[in-house]
Amino acid sequence: MIFLFIGLPLLVAAVLPLIGKVSKKILPDILANAVFLFLFVLAITSGRAMISQGPVLRRLDWLGEPINIQVAVDGFSLFMLMAIALVTLCVGLFSIDYMDHYGSKANYYALLLMMMTGMNGLVLVTDFFSIYLFLEVAAIASYALVAYGLEHDELEASFKYLMLSVIASAAILFSIVVIYSLTGSLGFVAVGEGLRALDAGLVVGFCAALFIMGFGLKAALIPFHAWLPDAHPSAPAPISAILSGLLIKVSGVYALTRIFFNVFGLTATLSQVLMWLGAVSIVVAAFLALGQEDLKRLLAYSSISQVGYVVLGLGIGTPLGIAGGLFHLFNHALAKGLLFLNSGSVQMATGTRNMDEMGGLAKRMPLTAATSIVGSLSISGVPPLSGFWSKLIIIIALVQSGEWVLAVIAVLASVLTLWYYLLFQRKAFFGKLNERWTAIKEAPFWMTAATVILALLTVGIGIVFTFVIRSWIQPASDVLVQGIHLVVGSWGF
Amino acid sequence: MILQIALLSGLVLFSILAILSKDLLRSAISLAIASLFLGIIFFRMKAPYAGVFEISVVAGLITVLFILTIALTKAEGDVRESNLAKIVFPLFFVVFIIIDVLVMKGLIQKIPTLPGSADQGTFGDVLWKQRTFDLVGQLAVILAGVFSVLALFRKRDKDE
Repeated sequence: MIFLFIGLPLLVAAVLPLIGKVSKKILPDILANAVFLFLFVLAITSGRAMISQGPVLRRLDWLGEPINIQVAVDGFSLFMLMAIALVTLCVGLFSIDYMDHYGSKANYYALLLMMMTGMNGLVLVTDFFSIYLFLEVAAIASYALVAYGLEHDELEASFKYLMLSVIASAAILFSIVVIYSLTGSLGFVAVGEGLRALDAGLVVGFCAALFIMGFGLKAALIPFHAWLPDAHPSAPAPISAILSGLLIKVSGVYALTRIFFNVFGLTATLSQVLMWLGAVSIVVAAFLALGQEDLKRLLAYSSISQVGYVVLGLGIGTPLGIAGGLFHLFNHALAKGLLFLNSGSVQMATGTRNMDEMGGLAKRMPLTAATSIVGSLSISGVPPLSGFWSKLIIIIALVQSGEWVLAVIAVLASVLTLWYYLLFQRKAFFGKLNERWTAIKEAPFWMTAATVILALLTVGIGIVFTFVIRSWIQPASDVLVQGIHLVVGSWGF
Repeated sequence: MILQIALLSGLVLFSILAILSKDLLRSAISLAIASLFLGIIFFRMKAPYAGVFEISVVAGLITVLFILTIALTKAEGDVRESNLAKIVFPLFFVVFIIIDVLVMKGLIQKIPTLPGSADQGTFGDVLWKQRTFDLVGQLAVILAGVFSVLALFRKRDKDE
């Protein structure tokens, strides 16, 4: 069953362009969203049962013959699979109405499914080269999706994204080559054992630096963030939602965390580097977001800042810090997905992304305004929304491990976040209705439905956060904590 | 050793030419020559399959595709390029070489002895039996590339 997470989107993507010849809109809409829904249900039902006895390794059988295709599922990968399926499902629903005017919907869904294949593959694989391969699958699909509107700005942003992403891939691949030439293997377990047997501290340090650069670029951590404020706003809104909500976390944060926690082991130095990278991203991106007039650019800078929180939480390395980081990853995926979808609704109604030209839109688009407030307040860390709990856990974890300076930075930056989100709300939705917008209407059904689902989840998870932490976050963070205990302190740095 | 250094220098030189040349055709041909050098280096380093693929696919097939595409396009005035690239690129390159030499010098002296590779076997064995999953990934990369081309070169249909 677990192979369906890779095989099903790949298969459906392969046939969608052909189906698009027969039915331009309805069949691609139904098929793609059925796949997203099925994979989400699969993740929350049979996935949980599968790992009830601990991590499992599955090998593919073809007509009774075993084939050398194997994937591993543990709490961490299942949590990511669920997050990917959930956000992609909402994005898919939103696309039903939103992508109509872009044309060639079948092709759009095919690329979206390929991106999902890449992300799911990356989460399930057990060796370094496969990580690189599926990273590229998701990346190639995302380059095309960023440029999907085919306007000058979109093509330019996509090209910039491509060029910087290639540098990231080169750094990652080079690091993998060094590891392979040393240990003669690529599997996570074998590489971990090989590196410890060789006591290759210096090489691990060198490879860790390259991985931080490569995956840091993918996750858009400052100072590797230059591509994101162009690429994410230029993409169609649902793609911005999936890039900011998922892709930077899967291809950046997940891959980095998996390698550092389960293969290299998180040493004190690595932990400090990650925490400070996170803290710098939080603060610098928050200040950059403050000065933005373009709504989607503001959201893009906010993504850099919030990924900073995730990395800060994970970097602490304590069970509480890891849980906080993972919980914030999930909350941010939902809330930022929601806000980017909202920005799409607003852009479709008004034709602009400039917040100074908006004003009073809440009177004409009440549901979009309400859901957008939920998303903004959650990311800013206002109780009782889900984002509040994850930030609180991260800050408590920082205080517990004696990192007072970082804890203060995290709190103050949270105030800054609230400031720029309130500015956005005031400029876009409140105040006097701009006369230009008297005739606009609320977004179409599926677009509104997708944002309402995400907003309800954000509120609901805030209320029952203990349940979510117990059933999803804890199993994921346990995997990472066990990884640390395995290898801690063996490299001399 | 001298031959190896000459081959590596040629590879770097033609790669730089491919980036800096303003003429697309010259860029494509420089890239082909660079991969020819790389192919020969692969052969000399006892990786004949990598060498064959590099020369036949990258130096041969892809160059033909590039040249065909360039022949099908027409120039629409000069593309304005920032002069910054002319300064930044050589600077970046020199800095990269210095860091590369320093890091490698430090690393090579301290790298532990190489253990035997775990993935032994013939080329076919490795490709079909040991790295089967990569074939799925390869298929996905090719499909993603095809869909990207279909999406980026589609005609915008106003009726849709």
